[in-house]
Amino acid sequence: MTKLLAGLVTAILAFGFTAPKEVVTIKGSDTMVILSQRWAELYMQKHPDVSIQVTGGGSGVGISALINGTTDICNASRPMKKAEVEKLKQRYNSLGVEIKAARDGLSIYLNAANSVHELTLDQVRKIYEGEITNWKQVGGADARIILYGRENSSGTYVFFKDNVLKGDDFAAGMQSIPGTAGVVNAVSKDKSGIGFGGAAYAKGVKYAKLKEDGNSPSYEPTEANIRSGDYPLTRYLFMYTRSRPSGAVKDFIDWALSSEGQAVVTKIGYFPVK
Amino acid sequence: MKQWVLMLSAAVLLYGAPVFGQDSDEESGGDSSEDIGSKVEAMGESMLEMKSTLDALKKLKFSGYVQAQYQMADTVGNSLFPVGSASAGTFGSNIDNRFSVRRGRLKAAYTADYAQFVLQFDVTEKGLGIKDAYTTITDPWLRGFSLTTGVFNRPFGFEIGYSSSQRESPERARFTQTLFPGERDLGVQLGVSFDEEEGVLGMFNLRAGIFNGTGGTAVENDNNKDFIGRLGMQLPFSDIGLAVDGGVSVYSGKVTSRSALVYDFGTVSGGPGLVLDSSAANLNASFDRSYVGADLQLYYDSPLLGGVSLRGEYVTGTHPGVPSGSAVYSGSDAVVNRDVSGYYVYFVQNIGLVNQLVVKYDVFDPNTKVEGSDIGKSSNGLSAADIKYSTIGLGWIFHWNANVKFTAFYEIVKNEEVNAAATSKLVPYKSDVKDNVFTLRAQYKF
Repeated sequence: MTKLLAGLVTAILAFGFTAPKEVVTIKGSDTMVILSQRWAELYMQKHPDVSIQVTGGGSGVGISALINGTTDICNASRPMKKAEVEKLKQRYNSLGVEIKAARDGLSIYLNAANSVHELTLDQVRKIYEGEITNWKQVGGADARIILYGRENSSGTYVFFKDNVLKGDDFAAGMQSIPGTAGVVNAVSKDKSGIGFGGAAYAKGVKYAKLKEDGNSPSYEPTEANIRSGDYPLTRYLFMYTRSRPSGAVKDFIDWALSSEGQAVVTKIGYFPVK
Repeated sequence: MKQWVLMLSAAVLLYGAPVFGQDSDEESGGDSSEDIGSKVEAMGESMLEMKSTLDALKKLKFSGYVQAQYQMADTVGNSLFPVGSASAGTFGSNIDNRFSVRRGRLKAAYTADYAQFVLQFDVTEKGLGIKDAYTTITDPWLRGFSLTTGVFNRPFGFEIGYSSSQRESPERARFTQTLFPGERDLGVQLGVSFDEEEGVLGMFNLRAGIFNGTGGTAVENDNNKDFIGRLGMQLPFSDIGLAVDGGVSVYSGKVTSRSALVYDFGTVSGGPGLVLDSSAANLNASFDRSYVGADLQLYYDSPLLGGVSLRGEYVTGTHPGVPSGSAVYSGSDAVVNRDVSGYYVYFVQNIGLVNQLVVKYDVFDPNTKVEGSDIGKSSNGLSAADIKYSTIGLGWIFHWNANVKFTAFYEIVKNEEVNAAATSKLVPYKSDVKDNVFTLRAQYKF
């Protein structure tokens, strides 16, 4: 009986004096999921008192969660829009805090067997708007082009629409796939496929070298080309908070921006901001 | 949306699976890879069909909110000093508390490539009303210009366009309610607004249009059309967590008198008062309804306190009312021309993620040319409609979750003290009328 009581008291004391883990939630860009998960793993190894929970869903979903108060950090592969900042202002009286976490070259994926190696931005636009429908129109085999892309909640979708399609709509036949990994997977299995997404995901597919126009040199989304600004489709990957970060949120962001955190960026396949 | 696609995919697969199973039973050798390929292709086509259906449905969005509230006034009102006129409507005689549905909104918006169609209804215990019915067409080239036609918010100031579901005080300022009842009007509006990428141009926006001037869905009652416009700017200083927004607004319109009786400010019995002009030429003559205004909103992410905002707006102008009050002239009453002014200041402090502290101060002077001491003197024509009001509002908002919020708001209403004779109807206004109002509101928004 004494032992039982002692055990109970020990258990209660242990329970009572165990500080609960501080939880930091990160939600948003699918492009950044792998990067954030790796960051979280390493950070939690060093800070066992903090739990970092990472989920994707797309930049739009993350920004909505930030506005609704259901995430601490939003990952976004595009900048916040005016209307989204307005919602933050209305609800929290703040503009949100934008943190540039990494750089990326928005990549055009082609099947490894595709004989096309390079495309101009205008050709990419016409392909995704449905004006160019056959690979032979851009120097490839006589085969219908199969378009793979992302859903409209994706920041990659919005960035591509704004910067490649210049705001125009995607061709109706584009197959929207949740997650960049899914796009890569589809293109890797489809000889006639074309997709787009972050540089870190291009496993089993090849990049199309991009050029500004027919007379420009073409570039792959390598670190050197992105740093020099030669690659025509570079973008930042962002973290957003509602207001100035503090506590564990600030500590995690500071760590992600440190040389250690930025080394993870390189390892994953993106490019450091500094 | 993603869930929808996943569910549909699952449904298609589930639908497809037994089909393969049956075929396998019927054919001893099972499907050839060619058969399976063609079935997969058929499923793909079916998916594309469903996707196109879903894409069309995605363009239609429903949103709305309900505000249910309990209100308690300092005292019961009566015909001499109505209570709550700027707090969701006057309390009934001998009533000092009430439950009501202040707003019950349902909005449907269909957004296509370069056009948007919007209908919004308001359903309360008072009935069903139309709030918005408009279409907006955006230019397909620069995407910075838009044309809106129908019934929609007047492009004037800040508070008119600030949604009641977001606004921190239960009601708009007294001057907004008086000069722009219902917020909306029927007309056509040009909008100019560019994205941030356009540099300096992206910091400015313009909305300007021509309206009936009758307000809301009221039928046009004359040939005069009113011009309303606002030039706005947004200056974000993101590095220091500060945003400075603001604008200047103009309302230039006219009302048509359906009476020969017109009152203007002048001298009556040696003092200020309303002078009657009853010349026949006044019938069907036009009288100015014109205001200018400026508004400013500051948002600051304070390192110590969190998000805080300070918002203010000032309006002044000439307002054609009626003898019994400051409502915008309509019908066949005499016209009473008054110079008016009003302003408000909001202070909103976010406390943590879910709480907000609100302090609001608003002032409306329906006749800037008279003092309280002028009102109540015999035969000068001045009435309760000329009394200046100021209101201090103190509120607390609790955001339970993304959809639900609770607001507790206390309005301390102070009227200008008048100089009324003992037999005058204005006697209650010789001192501050006990007409403070407490509002407890629950809102669900989706």
